[in-house]
Amino acid sequence: MKALEIKGLEVIFRAWRRRAVHAVRGVDLSVEENEVVGFLGPNGAGKTTVIHVLLGFIEPTRGEARVFDRDVRQSIARQRIGYLPEHPQLYRFLTGRELLTYSGRLFGLKGSSLRDAVERMLEFTGLGEAADRKIASYSRGMLQRIGIGQALINDPDLVILDEPTSGLDPLGRLEIRRMIGDLRTRGKTVFFSSHELSEVELVSDRVVILTAGRVVAEGRIEELMPAGKRLEQYFVEVVGASWAREAAGS
Amino acid sequence: MRRVLTIARIVWLEMIRRKDFYVLAIILAALLFMLLTADVFGLGSTPRYLVDSGLLMAWIASSVLAVFLVGRQLPAEERDGTVFPLLAKPISRGQLIVGKWLGGWLACAAATAVFYLLVTAVAVLREWSPDWLTLLQCWTLHVCALAVMSALALAFSTRLTYGAVVTMALVIIGGSIWMLPQVPTLAMYASGLRMDAMLLLYYLLPHFELFDMRRRLVHDWGPVDWTIFARIAAYAALLAALLLVVAWLSYRHKMFRRSELL
Repeated sequence: MKALEIKGLEVIFRAWRRRAVHAVRGVDLSVEENEVVGFLGPNGAGKTTVIHVLLGFIEPTRGEARVFDRDVRQSIARQRIGYLPEHPQLYRFLTGRELLTYSGRLFGLKGSSLRDAVERMLEFTGLGEAADRKIASYSRGMLQRIGIGQALINDPDLVILDEPTSGLDPLGRLEIRRMIGDLRTRGKTVFFSSHELSEVELVSDRVVILTAGRVVAEGRIEELMPAGKRLEQYFVEVVGASWAREAAGS
Repeated sequence: MRRVLTIARIVWLEMIRRKDFYVLAIILAALLFMLLTADVFGLGSTPRYLVDSGLLMAWIASSVLAVFLVGRQLPAEERDGTVFPLLAKPISRGQLIVGKWLGGWLACAAATAVFYLLVTAVAVLREWSPDWLTLLQCWTLHVCALAVMSALALAFSTRLTYGAVVTMALVIIGGSIWMLPQVPTLAMYASGLRMDAMLLLYYLLPHFELFDMRRRLVHDWGPVDWTIFARIAAYAALLAALLLVVAWLSYRHKMFRRSELL
């Protein structure tokens, strides 16, 4: 079974008295179970829109998206997903422990399994000491860690990370890299967007490059690039060529 | 249902921790204390005016609380970006709507109970002997009205900003309480389209005056007949359910884009 599958996805944003924005143009994409896939593209390429379709925040204009063979428009499709937004915005009036308990309950956890999951996540994120402090008092790094905790509380099979290293210091980035490695070891599927190409190169099995709402390159890193070439160089070439085609077409 | 209750619990916790309720309770207590010590128009010796004024303040405070607390739930989730981790969980938009309404309504009901206790305690100090059954009915119908007010604020908040929600909801609630009962009299002096529009407004807007039992309590008219009581409660349930359906219809396909929100 595929962890996620997108067919002919198109998203057009229409607003009254504003020009329609064609954010995603016929994206086909699939991710196998136990794969780590980096989702790349310049700003405004449509990465976050695709991720938001997968999570049901946005309904596709055309095409379909499925997670573990369930239509993403069904809320139950999100039962096996863990999601970390780019800048985790969380309830500041709750403590870290309360937030994890709340997230676990929304995933249907209860009783001792909920308590165990909360303790496990506090240990995993290293927030045991700050567990009973209000989130309002957390630093940027702690916010990212509690964000990871709420995303992984249900032991998800598919983890979707939207720019997980954005705004983090080198140690924070290292922690995220370790976490992705750990998830891979545990047989989880990870789909993440990032601008940190060196990080992507280190942790991904496969990359998908999106430009102007279209997939312009997709494959395993060693297949896409000849030996000695860096992902950053390849990315610039592919995106540049795509922009040149767009300019020639228009 | 567990997920709905989980969402409701967060609204409840928010009310307790954001301190709006404490501010309203302190203002109410201060006003009651002023009424208790001052002898306005020589009415100081009678507790009736104290109960009447106290319950009027409880109505105002609880209505403001319902509109401010429930009306900010969805706009705040969107403005702060907390809607993303929330909707990434396996909950439907319908569960979110019901959870937010239920949490806000129950929190307001509890706050209203505190306001009633405060008013009753102060009035008892002035040797008022309340008719407990009428008082209970008075509070219950007040809570029914709050269910409708909360649903109204929530329905507006699915598409409007917080400021617009508060303005719209308070204008409708205030207008319904103070102006709507006068509309049939005004309609008698109108004709044609103007009369039709007035009557349409009269039947379309919620009749909050039905839930107000203050006069029965203040003038010792005794409890209302249980059949009438049940009909008014059913009217509130129907109105709240209708408004929640409107809220769900408006919210179920709503798109959330980070660039628009942050």
